[in-house]
Amino acid sequence: MSSRTLNTNTVIGGLMTLFGLAAVVASMGINPDPDGGWGARIFPLVGSVALVILGVVECAKGLKSPPPVSTSSGDRGVMGRILALLMLSLAYVWLIGKIGYLISTGLAAVGALMIFGIRNPIGLLIAAIVCPAIYHVIFFVLLGVFPPYGEWFEPLDIIQGY
Amino acid sequence: MEIFAALASVLSDPIILMWVFAAAIVGMVVGAIPGLTASAAIAMLLPVTFYMQPLAALAFLYVIGKSGRYGGSIAAILFNTPGTAASAATQIDGYPLSKRGMSSKAMKVATLSSITGDYVGEILLIAGVGIIAAIALKMGPPELFAVYFAAFVVIGSVIGKSITRGLASAALGVLIKMVGLDPISSEERFTFGSFDLSNGISLVPLMIGIFVLGEVFSQLEARGKPIEQFDDPDNDDARARNRLTWAEYKPCIPHVIRSSFIGSFIGMLPGLGSAIAAFVAYGEGKRRAKNPEEWGKGALEGIAAPEAANNAVSGPSMAPLLTLGIPGSIIGAILIGVFLIHGIQVGPTLFLTQKELIYQLFACGLVGIAAYGLIGYYGASFVGRFILKIPTDVLYPVIFLTSFVAAYSARGSMFDVLIMVIAGFGGWLMKCYDFNPAAFVISFVLAGGAEETFRQSLLLSDHGALIFFTRPVALGFLIVGVVAVVARARSLSKQAKEASLNDA
Repeated sequence: MSSRTLNTNTVIGGLMTLFGLAAVVASMGINPDPDGGWGARIFPLVGSVALVILGVVECAKGLKSPPPVSTSSGDRGVMGRILALLMLSLAYVWLIGKIGYLISTGLAAVGALMIFGIRNPIGLLIAAIVCPAIYHVIFFVLLGVFPPYGEWFEPLDIIQGY
Repeated sequence: MEIFAALASVLSDPIILMWVFAAAIVGMVVGAIPGLTASAAIAMLLPVTFYMQPLAALAFLYVIGKSGRYGGSIAAILFNTPGTAASAATQIDGYPLSKRGMSSKAMKVATLSSITGDYVGEILLIAGVGIIAAIALKMGPPELFAVYFAAFVVIGSVIGKSITRGLASAALGVLIKMVGLDPISSEERFTFGSFDLSNGISLVPLMIGIFVLGEVFSQLEARGKPIEQFDDPDNDDARARNRLTWAEYKPCIPHVIRSSFIGSFIGMLPGLGSAIAAFVAYGEGKRRAKNPEEWGKGALEGIAAPEAANNAVSGPSMAPLLTLGIPGSIIGAILIGVFLIHGIQVGPTLFLTQKELIYQLFACGLVGIAAYGLIGYYGASFVGRFILKIPTDVLYPVIFLTSFVAAYSARGSMFDVLIMVIAGFGGWLMKCYDFNPAAFVISFVLAGGAEETFRQSLLLSDHGALIFFTRPVALGFLIVGVVAVVARARSLSKQAKEASLNDA
């Protein structure tokens, strides 16, 4: 087992326990059957209690583990890129809802390529134009999926002449 | 006999054949790209198949799964980077052969062994699935719940480094499935007043998130690692060196046959999968080999054994899915989504309602094996060179964007896209901290059926939960679950003790 696994047992066990306890509280808020049986509550409650028990076991294992090792600068660089990709993902979802699919996909294509180390401006420009066009043709024209429309501005209104 | 009629039907349908051949190529390429798995490709392509005929959709994804398992060997042999976890065992002997300029010979052995293993598995599935389905039809809710329980526990505890985190992954899968309205009483569960949550969490965005977007996050960690390829020179000497003769392949045959049955047996057990089958077959092959000292240094038998086992898993892993509705693998879990979207109920009654379709699917599997075998035998090196030309710094951003549009296309819902993003980051975290994403997804799929059969059992019972202990088959499966956890705990404890003794 890796040293990181050993060192993180306590933290992960604690998080599992907390999540499980929150789920137990939420499960107790589910109305049982009117005739007094467990009904809709039993499965969520069993799953939550199982998570609490497993969290406690994980914590107990963690207390026997050696102290954590500090993170190297290389790991921090990777973590930065991963967080950047997560932020881009959330921003992309939000932007689709506000300015429609086409523009937000162009922006997300540039962002994702930059996170993966592509810096060529012509390549980025081509991606910004080609990616939305290809996805639009495949999914929204050929497959007939109804596209997500932007709340603030929708370029499809202009392109399709509405 | 149904299989012959189905085979005739498939072979006379050019559209289905086109999809099968397309799947053979897509699966091989995807399996050969290090980091990208057949499961990820299937999850990403799943929404596209909603617009296809049921047989074409199922055959396309099923054959991608088969071909993807084989495609992993291309990267393992040519690049010393296993394209899939299962092909890591092939790498042990495959790459030393590549370094000696015999990559084509290694690929030919891998191809022949893969298709033999795959055919053995598929034929066992075709021969045995009807019998299992007939037995499954006689099971009542208590027995089915006990099977679900055993599947949860085995899937959660057997794979991965940590039993507690594996079981926690399964418990999390159950909890996430509970979000939404209770199917019996329509009571809201874990919705927190959200309308979107009251519709429940959909399987498709969850899988796209975990297996596709999660992989993009993982690739950011792996970015920049160079891939080395030993290409065979194009001269008479190299061609002679890479020619595979009958005398060379003959010693591999006992290993291929044994490994095919090992893979088929492991494939039937939910959750174990190709990687375990490949390593068990490799270990068993080396133990029985006449030349164990050559294993690990480029023995052809060392490629044949894991490749046969790895692909033999494919067919039998469909048995629990088709007969009990229990997906034995990630690909099985994804295929459930296809069945459901086409209005086909998977489970014991499937062979009564959709027998023709299922046998046609098996026939597509048989044709698909031949397709990837032919393409691989003559074109594996070409596929390898093609993979090297794909810039991963462009490929993964494209996969990133595709995951969003694929998640949206399933139900036309932006909430699904948000779920996909959360699942993607969660899937990456799970992999980082030794949780088990496969157990999470399979438990998510199983939880609905498990809850239904559990509550039906309690309604049938006059003595509450005692019904599970008074019915022998149900009790047997409950014991199987408990024994699996205890055996795994003992095995891990033994490994930990051995490791600490080695450290001392």
